[in-house]
Amino acid sequence: MSEVKAKSRGNKEVVTKKPFNMSYIRRYWQLYALLVLPVVYLIMFKYVPMWYVLIAFKKYSIVQKIWEMPWAKNHGFEYFIKAFKTPDFRTSLKNTIWLNLLDLVVGFPVPIIFALILNELRFKFFKKTVQTIAYMPHFLSWVIIYGLAIQVFAPTTGLINILVQNLGFEPIPFLNEGHHWVRTYIGLGIWQSFGWNSIIYLAAIAGISPELYEAASVDGAGRFSKMWHITLPGIKPTIIVLLIMALGNIIGSGFDRPFALQNNLVMKNAEVIATYVYKAGIKGSQFSLTTAVGLFQSVVGVIFLLLANWLARKFGERGLW
Amino acid sequence: MKKKVLSLILASAMVISLAACGSSSNDSSAATAPDTSSTETTTAADTTSTDTASTDTAADTATEEEAAPASELTDGKFAETRHITVEVYDRGNDNGSDPTNNMYTEFIKKGMMDQHNVEVEFVAVPRWTEVDDINNLLAAGDAPDICVTYSYPTVLSYAQMGGIIDLKDYVEEYKADTQNLWNWLGDTNMLWDKDPKTGSLWAIEGKRAEQERIVTFVRQDWLDTLGLKTPTTRQEFEDMLIAFRDNADTLLGKDASKMVPFSVSKDIGWRTANLLASFLDPNISDREFYINGFDDRLVTQTSTKEAVRLLNKWYNDGLIRKDFAIYDDDTAEDDMIKSGYVGAFMHNWDMPFRNGEDSYNSNLRRLVGENAKFVAIDPFENAAGKHAKFLYSSAGDRKIFFPTTNDEVLASFLYLDFISDPATIKYLQAGDEGVTHEVLDSGAIQIIAAEGDAIQNSGKNIDYTITCNGTYFGDTALADLSRAYGYADQDPELVSQADKISLTDGIAPINVNVGEISAEAGVGDTLSSKRDQIYDNAVVAPVADFDSTWDSFMDDYLSSGGQDIMDERAAKWEEYFGDADMLP
Repeated sequence: MSEVKAKSRGNKEVVTKKPFNMSYIRRYWQLYALLVLPVVYLIMFKYVPMWYVLIAFKKYSIVQKIWEMPWAKNHGFEYFIKAFKTPDFRTSLKNTIWLNLLDLVVGFPVPIIFALILNELRFKFFKKTVQTIAYMPHFLSWVIIYGLAIQVFAPTTGLINILVQNLGFEPIPFLNEGHHWVRTYIGLGIWQSFGWNSIIYLAAIAGISPELYEAASVDGAGRFSKMWHITLPGIKPTIIVLLIMALGNIIGSGFDRPFALQNNLVMKNAEVIATYVYKAGIKGSQFSLTTAVGLFQSVVGVIFLLLANWLARKFGERGLW
Repeated sequence: MKKKVLSLILASAMVISLAACGSSSNDSSAATAPDTSSTETTTAADTTSTDTASTDTAADTATEEEAAPASELTDGKFAETRHITVEVYDRGNDNGSDPTNNMYTEFIKKGMMDQHNVEVEFVAVPRWTEVDDINNLLAAGDAPDICVTYSYPTVLSYAQMGGIIDLKDYVEEYKADTQNLWNWLGDTNMLWDKDPKTGSLWAIEGKRAEQERIVTFVRQDWLDTLGLKTPTTRQEFEDMLIAFRDNADTLLGKDASKMVPFSVSKDIGWRTANLLASFLDPNISDREFYINGFDDRLVTQTSTKEAVRLLNKWYNDGLIRKDFAIYDDDTAEDDMIKSGYVGAFMHNWDMPFRNGEDSYNSNLRRLVGENAKFVAIDPFENAAGKHAKFLYSSAGDRKIFFPTTNDEVLASFLYLDFISDPATIKYLQAGDEGVTHEVLDSGAIQIIAAEGDAIQNSGKNIDYTITCNGTYFGDTALADLSRAYGYADQDPELVSQADKISLTDGIAPINVNVGEISAEAGVGDTLSSKRDQIYDNAVVAPVADFDSTWDSFMDDYLSSGGQDIMDERAAKWEEYFGDADMLP
């Protein structure tokens, strides 16, 4: 990115006047040299493997080359049809969308609110301390978080339920009943990420000109009206960009969070596409079937992304591009 | 101002895209891993295409060999040094020895070099992710020449993709050179997996020297404290659990709230196996047992629902460990058992004696008291009044296969032969006298705690004796004599008692070889996971909801491939055995 910037800043006329030629490359060869490694990396690890997305349409064999493998039945769509006939895939698709939707509705506003609150704090030391503590969970792996969750939420031996039982109530099945599990899943997700995600908003807030606040104060605006009329509109583009990204991810999901948190009692609510693909594909060696599922997931994700971007532009926002 | 905002957005977009990369790489680790593994296949395919060629030539030379046998070997030795690689499990034990370089690997390397002029190299594969790791190695064309796995479906799916050498001709061709192997495994294990139609043989079954499987254990000192006698029936067992529950204050004092009368893990099918087996109809036909028998934890046998109903009642009466289903591994349970909070459990027949000073019984002796110990009991009688329980079959342990990248088939067979030599097995299991074992007056071999290079990372070094699982010492009589002394820091009498009970009224599983059941391919893991869901959910359901819970999870199991397997098994049975109820 820095190369691009340097190029565009230093030599605007060259770019616009002369089209691409060798002397240009010769003049800035250092920049191109810097670019070679990242480009090779991208091609090797991001584009060459993409070739193998074809096995979604082929009968996979471990020893044949990709073009030697025979096409799957039904014009290559055998595995897509099979996937949609599999009850497990349908369950995991439903769960993926539901969990991500909840994450979006419940989890998306939290870092914004947190950033707004932090921004209003005047005592620097306290602000920094809170901020640092809020970042911490981001650095824990989900396996560790599940270990913590068991200590705190386990049905009979968890801290909270020991307390609840000693008070004479029935234990709350945080981890072992489907609907409660969903709440725990969402809650832990928010706890793990809200501090970290608020960084971007804090940065955006820091970019708002103090003059606006001063002018508003002179006009007699209070804290809330400043928040509502200056801060929020100021970070609106950032919010939109993040929202579009989140919508693009509505059918995808991380692997480690559901995988670490799920257990046998809640599988009907906890199996998501990522974990299903892992179990059926890698452990069950059904590579073609799960590549088809993965491809389907990506295509739908892109559609959502485009749709959200189109909507954002329609409402006069900048969008991603 | 606008510029500032723009640059902020750009910067934040970059941060997000980085973050997005991070998270997407997480799920693509699942989603695209097949892709990446197959990327590597390009090279794999290259090498294998030459390899298939070389197997062809191997087959050619093989036919030549038939004309002039022993052309390759002189006195069992190759003229030129050959090189083979061998898979060995890496168990990642604390304070273990290096699995690829220790006293035992040195012994094997030296032996193979001296006897056959073959250089052996060990390739460590993590034990707990073995199937995944072998997948990757096979896909990359880097799999060891001799691979070993517990999962036959894995072998089969790679065989179907053409990744594995068909051993059907080789086993006969090299029979003369591999007498130890044939003597040890016999026709049964050598040809166990032979397809009845095509004759293909994708894997050789390692042999279990011990058929002991699962036993129930109880805290003898608790029985003594409460003045109870050893339970011999299901009802007495239940009464005993109730007594444990009701006398928690006496037994555990201030820790009374931690009392667990009967402990299980999320693998209910294993951890209550003898109870489930006792509900099975003693006169069940081979046919029915086979058709409903895909699941090795009996979940689809018709009698199992009633057995689980009893467990469900126990759970709701507070007799079974709460929370068992949310723990992924057994460490939390191990700690409970070692701390003395658990009254009874069912597990591998030698479970309380494993791991020397860190064993259950050694921990109890140290942490709870001199008398605290688990002893084996046999309380689950079936309708015929027998204490029937399943044994291991002699096969069904490790499966040994050669990937197509193996171009040293003969050398690999010689390795298996060497590993099956009684003298080799004895050394690998017993090690050196004074270092890893002592010989008692009776002649029995007593295993003692070893140090450094001599530490066995697996019990009886099964990771090296891949054709043999369990105490053998190269001599069945010696093995029987020594079995009770095979556990460091344990009371031999307790071991011997557990050994005896584990074999009482034991049922050896039947081997129905009707070739491949295509409905079973690729669904094994999914169905095992669903099996555990049936068991776990049914056990913890409220008593009133038991039937509906069992039925809905069972429906899910059947519709996810379980029913297809039963149908295909029924059809195959009819094809091979007609309407006979029993195996011929």
